[in-house]
Amino acid sequence: MITWLRDITLSFLDKVDWPLMLALCAVMAASLVVQHSAGGGDSHVVIAQAARFIAGLAVMLLLTRISPARLRIWTPLVFAVTLALLPLVFVIGSGRSARLWINLGFFYLQPGELLKLTVPMMLAWHLHRRVLPPTWTSLAGCLAIIAIPVALIILQPDLGTGMLVVASGVFAVFLAGIGWGRIGLFAGMGLSSLPLAWLFLMPYQKNRILTFINPESDPLGAGWNIIQSKIAIGSGGLFGKGWGQGSQAHLDFLPEHTTDFAFSVLSEEWGWLGVSVLFALYLFIVGRSLWIATNARDGYSRLLAGALAMTFSVYVLVNGSMVVGLLPVVGIPMPLLSYGGTSAVSLLAGFGIIMSVHAHRKFMS
Amino acid sequence: MKSAHAEADQFRRRAVIGFFAISVALFGLSLGYFRLQVLQHEEYKTRSEANRIKPRPIVPARGLIYDRNGKLLADNVPAYRLEVVPEEAGNLEATLAGLAQLVAISEDELQQFHSARKATRSFRPVVLKLRLSEEARARLAVNRYRFPGVDVVPYLTRRYPYGNLFAHVVGYVGRLDANDLATLGDSKYSALTHVGKSGLEKSYEARLRGEIGYENVEQNVEGRMLRIVNNEPAEPGLDLQLSIDADLQRAAVEAFGDFDGAAIAVDPRTGEVLAMVSLPMFDPNLFVNGISHTDYAALTTNLSRPLFDRNLHGGTVPGSTVKPFIGLAGLESGVRRPEDRIFSSGVFHLPGVKRGFNDAHAGGHGWVDLRESIAQSVNTYYYQLALDLGIKRFDDYLYRYGFGRPTGIDLIGESEGILPSPEFKRKRFKSDWYPGDTVNAGIGQGFWVTTPLQLVQATATLAQDGVRHPLHLTRAARQGFQQPWQPWPQSAAEVVASDLGNLQAIKEGMVAAVTHGTAHAIGIGAPYLIAGKTGTAQHISRRTNASMSPHNLPLGLRHQALFIAYAPADAPSIAIVVVVEHGGYGATTAAPIARKIMDAWLIKRLPVSTNTASAKTP
Repeated sequence: MITWLRDITLSFLDKVDWPLMLALCAVMAASLVVQHSAGGGDSHVVIAQAARFIAGLAVMLLLTRISPARLRIWTPLVFAVTLALLPLVFVIGSGRSARLWINLGFFYLQPGELLKLTVPMMLAWHLHRRVLPPTWTSLAGCLAIIAIPVALIILQPDLGTGMLVVASGVFAVFLAGIGWGRIGLFAGMGLSSLPLAWLFLMPYQKNRILTFINPESDPLGAGWNIIQSKIAIGSGGLFGKGWGQGSQAHLDFLPEHTTDFAFSVLSEEWGWLGVSVLFALYLFIVGRSLWIATNARDGYSRLLAGALAMTFSVYVLVNGSMVVGLLPVVGIPMPLLSYGGTSAVSLLAGFGIIMSVHAHRKFMS
Repeated sequence: MKSAHAEADQFRRRAVIGFFAISVALFGLSLGYFRLQVLQHEEYKTRSEANRIKPRPIVPARGLIYDRNGKLLADNVPAYRLEVVPEEAGNLEATLAGLAQLVAISEDELQQFHSARKATRSFRPVVLKLRLSEEARARLAVNRYRFPGVDVVPYLTRRYPYGNLFAHVVGYVGRLDANDLATLGDSKYSALTHVGKSGLEKSYEARLRGEIGYENVEQNVEGRMLRIVNNEPAEPGLDLQLSIDADLQRAAVEAFGDFDGAAIAVDPRTGEVLAMVSLPMFDPNLFVNGISHTDYAALTTNLSRPLFDRNLHGGTVPGSTVKPFIGLAGLESGVRRPEDRIFSSGVFHLPGVKRGFNDAHAGGHGWVDLRESIAQSVNTYYYQLALDLGIKRFDDYLYRYGFGRPTGIDLIGESEGILPSPEFKRKRFKSDWYPGDTVNAGIGQGFWVTTPLQLVQATATLAQDGVRHPLHLTRAARQGFQQPWQPWPQSAAEVVASDLGNLQAIKEGMVAAVTHGTAHAIGIGAPYLIAGKTGTAQHISRRTNASMSPHNLPLGLRHQALFIAYAPADAPSIAIVVVVEHGGYGATTAAPIARKIMDAWLIKRLPVSTNTASAKTP
């Protein structure tokens, strides 16, 4: 009986990449510690976060067992289904300021979150069949695969998720070996269309960007968040104020301290050393994932794992910059640290795919 | 050609470049943190220590509402509420159980407390009970030491001294919920506890509420308040003075006796609403601090629907009360002259249609002109007139007189009613318009729906010789006690009919209805001259439910007795509509109620000489 149970458990764990797993667990442990303090000692927050991590780990373990070859066959179907879910949020969606969620009864599904996985999957599927570096025709296909879901996501409106999906697509194309000349061309086109994008932003989004440029212009209003976050981080110093001692967070100066600004709480209480340790963990996770991607058995697995790994770094860089006022507040969480369900689950699912790529690398080489 | 090896090499190069770029970016960001946390640490540390000054919202007192004579209809009274800070309370369950032994805490209150607690951070106070009794406060004061994190906090709560009398006019405030916050949008409104949910409390919400201010409070590291540094004062809400007269309102309710229904009295010269009742009523005070499930269920299951505002949302077939306006359309369009006569045989036939349209008198009224057609409410006259006008012209004129469009009253959600038209019929019933529909529309039946507000406004417009004033409840406002009342700006009046000869003919018809026509009973003994018109809206056959109590019948099935009137007929100062549910004919129930309301308003205001002079004539 006991051995039977042990065998089952072991067989579920046999596809796990342990270096990656340990680094992820270290970040999640840090998250629970930070949430305990940020939530004001409210165990409800910590338990809810732990439950999400467990759910995410379960999804991850399941995905390690699906071989990339099978995933590749299913890719067009999975992509089509998740894409079809997007317009549904306009009909039956809910959410306070934007309609992002579909209520499934037992939990809220955020289709935009699923596309963070399925868009790179579809791109990898599209590119692995074609000559690389991609031709103009394949690039046109890539553009369609990225642009259609992103347009729908931005309409919801969910700027943060839209940006992450774009990033995952850009990385897939970059890793596929697109020429430097074309990279320059696309970057130039992107930059020159920015003023046009301004016209399509919601008033609250414009407001965030204006206060980003000059936070002191509205110190009690929208600029308040950035100023208070910088004070929290700066006052943390080299070693931090200590666990549970962050006055900025506890006197309620720091807004959204469990979600978007969770990293500010960590910086205040654990100082620059805490920040550096976390950054090192994140860099290791990205590096390990890219290494797995390079050793993958085929083009599909390579592109998918590589794009997922590089997208992960965008979370870290954008959230890390936004809480110190280097970027506008766009609602991208610090991965696996901020409080929030769906992003934790979808991130861990991504690592499940990466681990599966690693576990199935041997067959063809 | 695809080359697996070349692709793998290419990927490896790109992955290395990517990883390098990410490392550099992360290292750069880490340097940014180093600058902030180590190099500029002293500066931010100082700012963090100085960061004990926190803005705290100041909620101004809500504006008061008075009637036209200065009687207070909505008041703020000091009350005390019980708050719990979950974080400081230690064992929350034990605290709640302990408090329940001192203060009666209902299941509803407990539920609201728990849902509010989940939405609030644990060091913020959460309301457990509003409006503590004197006794409960005393008991809490004695036991205070046993309950850390529990506080009794003074606040201002809304009170409606007249209870149910103004339930549909003034409305009520209720506790702010998540939906209200979403519509208000700004985070500063989370400091509010109540917002207007219905009536004037809702339509004037922003003015009554005032502008929320801030004070900057210095606190120590534990978060305890030390002093107020400076503040941005709150702007008090506006006090409103209504045109409503509380005495007339009460007289109107008493005039109804046991009946359900609605009545509105307005001053035709200004469009000011003097009284506005929708019966049955309910007590708005129940809603202020959260209505209990049993109270709410009692209101919503009542077949007479007390919460339903019959004046604003209700609509009824106007029946014969629209005849004066159809008559006016006939004169203004040139289709009829006042002296033109029509023969009423008792039944009206459309060419080629077997089924006839009846008059109220079985044998008909004989030859009648416009005045008599109004006085005797002769259907045949209007069947023919509607046909001669045609539905298009019919609608154009009646729309101008205010049917099928809002009256402009300062309440939210006014119903527009329905002006019968081929477009409406096609949209609602997917069916063509027949001449019979026009005939029916001619006596205010068929597809017609009018609100009491529309009827009273149209009556006032007639009384005022074609000048249509937007109806309004608010006549003046002031910002706080010391300020004088300022007249509240009103929208401009509109001239909808200008030929005085035409108007005079219609008015004579309405006077005749009271002197010797369908409503002659109510004119008896009145010290002033009344002009009026009766009407009946039948929903189900009168024969089948003759013995049924009206209070047991759903609202939609009750037939309604209607009466419109204005007085004194030579210099009108009041126009009125009365709708009595299940009230038989307009003349028998609605008209006497209207007479009582007009008496209550006019008798004490009439010049003494007129009063005694007309008292001599019986």
